[in-house]
Amino acid sequence: MSDVNAVSFTILLVLFILVTLIGFAAARWRRADSMQHLDEWGLGGRSFGTFVSWFLLGGDLYTAYTFIAVPALIYGVGAAGFFAVPYTIMVFPIVFVFAPRLWSVCRQHGYVTPADFVRGRYGSRGLALAVAATGILATMPYIALQLVGIESVLTVLGLGSSSNSFLKDLPLLIAFVVLAAYTFLSGLRAPALTAFVKDILIYVTVIVAIVYIPARVGGWTHIFNHAATHLASVNPKTGKPFGALITPPAGEWAYATLALGSALALFMYPHAITGVLATARRNVIRRNMAILPAYSLVLGLIALLGYMALASPAVNAGVKAGGGNAQLAVPLLFEHIFPSWFAGIGYAAIVIGALVPAAIMSIAAANLFTRNIYREFFHRGASPAQETRVAQVVSLVVKAGALVFVLALSKSFAINLQLLGGVWILQTFPSIVAGLYTRWFHRWALLAGWAAAMIWGTIVAYRQPVPGVPGSHFGTSTAVVPVLGHTAYIAVTAFVLNLVVALVLTVVFRALRLRDGADETEPADYSADPVDAPAPVPVRSAS
Amino acid sequence: MTQPSRSGRHPVITWGVVAVLLAVGVAGTLVVPLYARTAPKLGPFPFFYWYQLAWIPIVAILAFAAYLLTSRTSRGAHRSQRGRDE
Repeated sequence: MSDVNAVSFTILLVLFILVTLIGFAAARWRRADSMQHLDEWGLGGRSFGTFVSWFLLGGDLYTAYTFIAVPALIYGVGAAGFFAVPYTIMVFPIVFVFAPRLWSVCRQHGYVTPADFVRGRYGSRGLALAVAATGILATMPYIALQLVGIESVLTVLGLGSSSNSFLKDLPLLIAFVVLAAYTFLSGLRAPALTAFVKDILIYVTVIVAIVYIPARVGGWTHIFNHAATHLASVNPKTGKPFGALITPPAGEWAYATLALGSALALFMYPHAITGVLATARRNVIRRNMAILPAYSLVLGLIALLGYMALASPAVNAGVKAGGGNAQLAVPLLFEHIFPSWFAGIGYAAIVIGALVPAAIMSIAAANLFTRNIYREFFHRGASPAQETRVAQVVSLVVKAGALVFVLALSKSFAINLQLLGGVWILQTFPSIVAGLYTRWFHRWALLAGWAAAMIWGTIVAYRQPVPGVPGSHFGTSTAVVPVLGHTAYIAVTAFVLNLVVALVLTVVFRALRLRDGADETEPADYSADPVDAPAPVPVRSAS
Repeated sequence: MTQPSRSGRHPVITWGVVAVLLAVGVAGTLVVPLYARTAPKLGPFPFFYWYQLAWIPIVAILAFAAYLLTSRTSRGAHRSQRGRDE
């Protein structure tokens, strides 16, 4: 890790510049459309068919989460990390059920963000504010995960040494600047186009990796046997085994709740909802649920790269040299197994695969702020130009927030960043999804449930130490469930608390005849499928 | 959503089937004790791994079947009365 590999670095750089140019060209090319291109951008004119939507929605799954975080967890603890596979299986039946209703009602009323819908459905600015703020907060650690992914590639490339603290954080700073520049340069239309390039790079890398690597590290049988032996051995840091090849009975609750909680949470993220709303027809969403699992298959194969890395002595030595940073496993695997030119392509796949989603996420969060907080609470008559400026600044603030998460939280397993985001974003589920089916819940009961779950979930997550480091915080995303005694994903436990509070308080508030907000939607809105009607123009949205 | 005035029991049956398909899609990998074991292996792959990977094409097929069923029902519903769905 001392010298920069010139070939790999050049290839990474060339591909990166290529993607940036494509993004920039795309932004310029569409700019002529109209002065309101920001609205247009917001949902791409709500015109995407099955094919484009497949890339767009798939982009929400394919991030540094897939390429770095999941294999790192498998590398570190084994089977427990494989929950990402059932997560990306369960997400499709779940989204199949509610996404078309969300699409229809948003289409009918010109809603652009989940908070727009909540405001319209419950007539509650407070609840909409809660949903918007949660979306922004939860996006930050998710972006942080992308930064960690880029950082791990740059570290393996040799851009940064651990000798002094400035150089140590240099890869991260580079990653941050690159991401900020990219978003500023190309706005949101560009990532949609570059998603094609990104996915092609990823598919090529994964197919080659799965065919080429196993034989190089001793074959599949050796890979699994070696993993089983290593995982069963005792980790000197914790005094317990590293993990297990098969989830033990004690880990089953955590495994199932991590998968289910992540699946429920994914399409609550603002950037994921954007992908759903951008589809042209109601049916496009459902059709996509049948073809999106192709991404899950690739995710499952990438996950197994963790075991391949474990079977490579050179990778293990590299991870140790990097301070035990498991996030280095996949880039190191590429470095040691692939010829340097192909390693460069693999690095580019990871970096671009982290950069594009991070740009989309930060812009989605910025939109949420501009639409549902700035215009709602601070400046009702803001001009499009003012909104754009606010959105641009907020997109920077969101990324700075992400940087805080990277620096403040333990990097033993980057996946915890995404899981922490899940703890928060899942708490908007009752307001959004229950709201698609019923107005029974009282708006203040939903707000109280949300608040209780947010506070409880955050405190519990804060109290979890990093394994082997007593006194540390936000170390894992699972905790023992009160009463039940099983270890489960904090997001799901908090979600149950959320529902219980909302249910009980709704009964109480209804009995007290507390005033409920006005509902501007009609039952028919939720199944509407306007065929020829032009997409309603959203009031005004920022980039 | 509340049950709309849906003539005939055909849509009800269809939605029931769709609900079962999707529930199976979630349950297949949610019930961890079903597959948390090594044997039977598929080649070098322990059961735990190939079982879960095998569910990916299965859930795709389930979702596609559900899509076909719902799109047919919606189309039928649209012909008789606009704006009706699940």
